[in-house]
Amino acid sequence: MAASETTIRLDRVSKSFGEFTAVRELSLDVRAGRVFGLLGPNGAGKTTTIRMIVNITAPDSGSITLFGRTIDPALQDRIGYLPEERGLYRRMRVVDQLRFFAELKNVRGKHVESKIDEWLARVKLSEWKNKRSMELSKGMQQKIQFITSVIHDPDLLILDEPFSGLDPINTELLKEIVLELKRAGKTVIFSTHQMEVAERVCDDICLLNRSQKVLDGSLREIKRSFGRNSVAVRCEGGDGVLDDPELVSKLVRHADEAQVLLAPGANAQTLLKRLMDSGAVIGKFEMVEPSLNDIFITKVTESA
Amino acid sequence: MIKFLAVVKREYLQRVRAKMFIVTTILLPVAMSFFALVPILVINIKTPAVRVAVVDQTGKLYDPLRRSLGSDESEQAGANDARPQGRPGLTSFVLEEINAQNQSIDQLRDNLNQRLRARQIDGYMILPPDFLEHGQAEFFNNNPGDVFAQPTLQSALGRAVREQRLIEAKVDNKTRAHLFQPVDLQAVKIGDTGGQERNSGDTFAVVFGIGFLMYLSILMYGQIVLGAVIEEKETRIAEILFSSVRPFPLMMGKLVGVSLVALTQLTIWGLAFSAFALFGVNLLASRGVTSFSIPHIPISHFLYFGLFFLLGYFIYATIYALVGSMVTTAQEGGQLAMPIIVMLVVSFYLFLPVSRSPDSPFSFWVSMIPFSAPVAMVVRIVTHTPPFWQIALSLLIGFSSVLVIMWMASRVYRVGMLMYGKRASIPEAWRWARQA
Repeated sequence: MAASETTIRLDRVSKSFGEFTAVRELSLDVRAGRVFGLLGPNGAGKTTTIRMIVNITAPDSGSITLFGRTIDPALQDRIGYLPEERGLYRRMRVVDQLRFFAELKNVRGKHVESKIDEWLARVKLSEWKNKRSMELSKGMQQKIQFITSVIHDPDLLILDEPFSGLDPINTELLKEIVLELKRAGKTVIFSTHQMEVAERVCDDICLLNRSQKVLDGSLREIKRSFGRNSVAVRCEGGDGVLDDPELVSKLVRHADEAQVLLAPGANAQTLLKRLMDSGAVIGKFEMVEPSLNDIFITKVTESA
Repeated sequence: MIKFLAVVKREYLQRVRAKMFIVTTILLPVAMSFFALVPILVINIKTPAVRVAVVDQTGKLYDPLRRSLGSDESEQAGANDARPQGRPGLTSFVLEEINAQNQSIDQLRDNLNQRLRARQIDGYMILPPDFLEHGQAEFFNNNPGDVFAQPTLQSALGRAVREQRLIEAKVDNKTRAHLFQPVDLQAVKIGDTGGQERNSGDTFAVVFGIGFLMYLSILMYGQIVLGAVIEEKETRIAEILFSSVRPFPLMMGKLVGVSLVALTQLTIWGLAFSAFALFGVNLLASRGVTSFSIPHIPISHFLYFGLFFLLGYFIYATIYALVGSMVTTAQEGGQLAMPIIVMLVVSFYLFLPVSRSPDSPFSFWVSMIPFSAPVAMVVRIVTHTPPFWQIALSLLIGFSSVLVIMWMASRVYRVGMLMYGKRASIPEAWRWARQA
């Protein structure tokens, strides 16, 4: 792919706080116009990585290139950032806050006023425009916080756990907006430890664990490379077969079906045959792509 | 610059629009005048005269004492037994002479004690025969809580005794009057230009006033600066801010914003006070009372007062900002702010040694150290104006210190924000300021 399509490039970036290394030798490319998932468990180094990109902290070594330039404070204005630690001024009116955050990004004037109205309408909070933020519910505040990160029409949007604590309807609303922004050519970095959410939104991912990159690339390719070694099974009986370690390396029972990860060397045909031989009544037997969660757990246990 | 102004504007408008601002702006002067007026009103409440019986065994002191207490006025009014009008603010007395000739002292005392219990008198005094030589007497009363009566009686008695002793030393009336005539010592300042200016404690009042104003505004607004710095930590906005604005303009914006609020409030109070004072002075003048004189101070000094007031305010406000950058909650900040207040009080009282010797090396150094300079330099300017370079140097050192402290505060603030919920120790804060 062409270099111009790369929004962010990290080259062997490291950052430590005293004895503790938060990010070690991290290199990654974020392509323009895509949703990039920065994934990993708590404490993997996601937030530190983001803070270096938005120029809150500087890396100890390595380089970060943003929009083809080495990062500097002026580039902050082209980034919208919704941190995991986020809040609003409690006593300030919603419209004043949004105007203030726009000004902090060097955006001001009449144009901002119409932008504010547009966004409030988009998240269905128009009638709250002149209320103080302390009067808003938590979910409403979260939507206002989201607007603060997009009010200046940034080219790069960084969202750290944007959906935590939101109800399904609002989660869906924000997800739609994120996908719209992506279609409009914006680059989105999406940081989360919830793999199911990432799976539905991200085009590319980077898995971090213990301050190091474990895996990165396009989500589709990653899944393909892991092959179809997962089976969704719904059956009565046949428990002995599913517990056989020769066939099954991992078994997760859901309410009415089980997720089976095949053991290395085993194949689905053998499993199906063994189940039928054992007299189990099979309701469903389907090859599925491995979930991101499975991939993640496999990778993390491998690297440990 | 837009970002810095945005921060200033937000801090200013949010605070000036707040109800608290309007309430304190109106209420504080009301409360102050209340506290100033109440003691005057209370002390003016007339209390009945204290009835004192005097057993004068010397036989010579009753009349001088009576004159000395001023209770002869009522005599002149022609009503010997009528109570004199209580004079405002002073305890007045009704004296009664007890004839000590026919009775023994014990009889007298029994008698008087009875009358004391019956509340016919409020107290009695026995002046023994050798009182003029030894000057020791006793005052018996049933109200030891009256802290005004005893000293008034004592000084009146003292005057009476001195007078009587002089009479016995055969000093004539004219000499006696002359001996008691008070003196008047006028302090006159020799200006650098050779002119003479009358200086009767006015400069002291000016220095005290400026020092006090500084002290008051720092106490009031220091806390607000502290709160403004902690606000984003408590509301968790800090990280959003740092992704948009550099820490230094952010901190400076906050400091300037809050300071403008302080100046707004002080200006409102200043105007109200001037209006009130002008009105009051005119009122007094129209009644023929003109004991009030405006201190004679060169105009250039007012400029210096303004600058040093700002310096004093900013120096302490920045320390509050530094404290705010180190802590995570307002409560913690309040505890850490204690040393600031101590420092402030100490540097305020430095005006005493500095005003005694404004040109000493001690005064020089104290007026260069940013924390004590605002008061010390104002004292020096008023008492014996130092060379211009010293004033300029003091201002330069002071305002550079403000910038340095703010720079440190912004570094500490940013690193502190990255280490959630952790309060910085002073060595840590220093390390953060350097590494950040």
